[in-house]
Amino acid sequence: MYKIFWVLWPSFLVAGVAEGLFFTVIDPQELYLFGEPVHLSKIATYSIGFFGFWFICALSSLVTWFLQLSAAEINRGVGVVCPYVGPNDAEKK
Amino acid sequence: MASTPASQTQESRPSFVEESLYEIHQKVHPRAVSGIFATWRWALVCLTQLVYYGMCWLPWNGRQAVLFDLAERKFYIFGLVFWPQDVIFLSVLLIISAYSLFLFTAIGGRLWCGYACPQTVYTEIFTWIEQKIEGERNARIKLDAAPMSARKLWLRVAKYSCWGLLAFWTGFTFVGYFTPIKTVWASLWSFSLGPWETFWMFFYGTFTYLFAGHMREQVCKHMCPYARFQGVMFDPDTLTITYDTERGEPRGARKKGVDPQSIARGDCVDCGICVQVCPTGIDIRAGLQYECIGCAACIDACDQVMEKMDYPKGLIRYSTEHAIAAHWGWKEIVGHIIRPRVIIYSTILATICVAFVWGIATKATLRVDVIRDRAILAREVEGGLIENVYRLHVINVSEAPHRYAVSVSGLPEIDMVGERILELPAAAARTFTVQVRVPPESGKKGSNQIFFDVKSLSNEKVAVHEKAAFLQP
Repeated sequence: MYKIFWVLWPSFLVAGVAEGLFFTVIDPQELYLFGEPVHLSKIATYSIGFFGFWFICALSSLVTWFLQLSAAEINRGVGVVCPYVGPNDAEKK
Repeated sequence: MASTPASQTQESRPSFVEESLYEIHQKVHPRAVSGIFATWRWALVCLTQLVYYGMCWLPWNGRQAVLFDLAERKFYIFGLVFWPQDVIFLSVLLIISAYSLFLFTAIGGRLWCGYACPQTVYTEIFTWIEQKIEGERNARIKLDAAPMSARKLWLRVAKYSCWGLLAFWTGFTFVGYFTPIKTVWASLWSFSLGPWETFWMFFYGTFTYLFAGHMREQVCKHMCPYARFQGVMFDPDTLTITYDTERGEPRGARKKGVDPQSIARGDCVDCGICVQVCPTGIDIRAGLQYECIGCAACIDACDQVMEKMDYPKGLIRYSTEHAIAAHWGWKEIVGHIIRPRVIIYSTILATICVAFVWGIATKATLRVDVIRDRAILAREVEGGLIENVYRLHVINVSEAPHRYAVSVSGLPEIDMVGERILELPAAAARTFTVQVRVPPESGKKGSNQIFFDVKSLSNEKVAVHEKAAFLQP
């Protein structure tokens, strides 16, 4: 459950910022979709734009979550003898 | 609490079964509290919600006073109209808000969280509804544990319905700031509300309901970015809600009126009411914790207990780390408000505020953009004159309709074909084409600088002198 929030919540916040910046600079009527001017109402364009941003940001968060290692994964093997025997290890023993 | 004792971890090795280190969430049932800080909190609940629910209904010059008109790409805030070109003002406003927050936090700790944050405010309202319907803390805990019955079902339905109505109204109001609220209201009753307006109304309403009704302190603890970084604004002279450990410990129960020293105890009677009233369910006596939103409910609660015990108030109080350590009174605490951090925040804030006010006061009421028609560089027209074509984008940023005179200058015998008088209603823009003509001998070959003048006929001061390039072949 927490992990869903880790993906959806930060992306929601960043999508809000991206939406604000993007549509401040760009008028929805100046947009083209596959070569055709966008005929949707402005509110619809803003809304779809927001969900577009949210989706893309969520993908980014999802990849971060996928690549993230938990402490347990990083520390796996601590307390267990390291299977790798280095050149200097013989002296220590 | 939730961490595994070390010995257990040792024994369980080397099987690496990952255990969740998260504390199992237990529902917090805050006990109702009254007192000076509770009154302040309610005053701010009323004030902020009066502004939020009310301001969208205020009229101004025949339109909504505060309207972020997305469809028209214009933001109206009382007498001011902001266009997308004015985004700088919005950015500066955000910077001002951020620095105010830094300043308040450095001086008074989490004042924002405790008194003004919408999350706190709506949680306060939703908890109040819950308490009115389901009863006080103990009744609610009992009800939660009880099996489903007709009474429980009725209470739940009543509570969720009241929450739902309030959340719906909040969502409706939210949409009313982006689409004129009277239109939204009218279309609500004729079932002709646009799909996106309907969607955003329910989106915002649903999240109000979930955040204030069900998630509450979870939002502050796990979701709020400010809660995570507010600590960096703190220093040992920042006011925080503090339990006076020296005075309170060792805590313990005793009869009313017993002198704590006679039983070798501190002033804390260990009644646990400070924990019961806490909306985030923490024990402030364990010291400052990041979960503490600074609502001061525990101060009110403890003061009442101290009063009953005939002990001095303020066992839990607003104090600073330095003040507690050095036994300072209010005089010393106030004396330490002025310190480098506060001076820096205040200076930056004051500078930006002055710049903002100056910017708003001198904001142009007329804007003109001249765009050369790139399709036609220069052409010869009747009478051997050379013509360049321009598009003029004139924006009347003011609140009143204006008539403007358009003229051109900068080259000998320069003249223009097109509208010379332009009428624009309040807060409106128009783009129109102007052909500028000069004799072939006028000016040098290549690019010549010319000027367009747009002047209001009713107000001499409203004028724009905009330069453009004239190409002479």
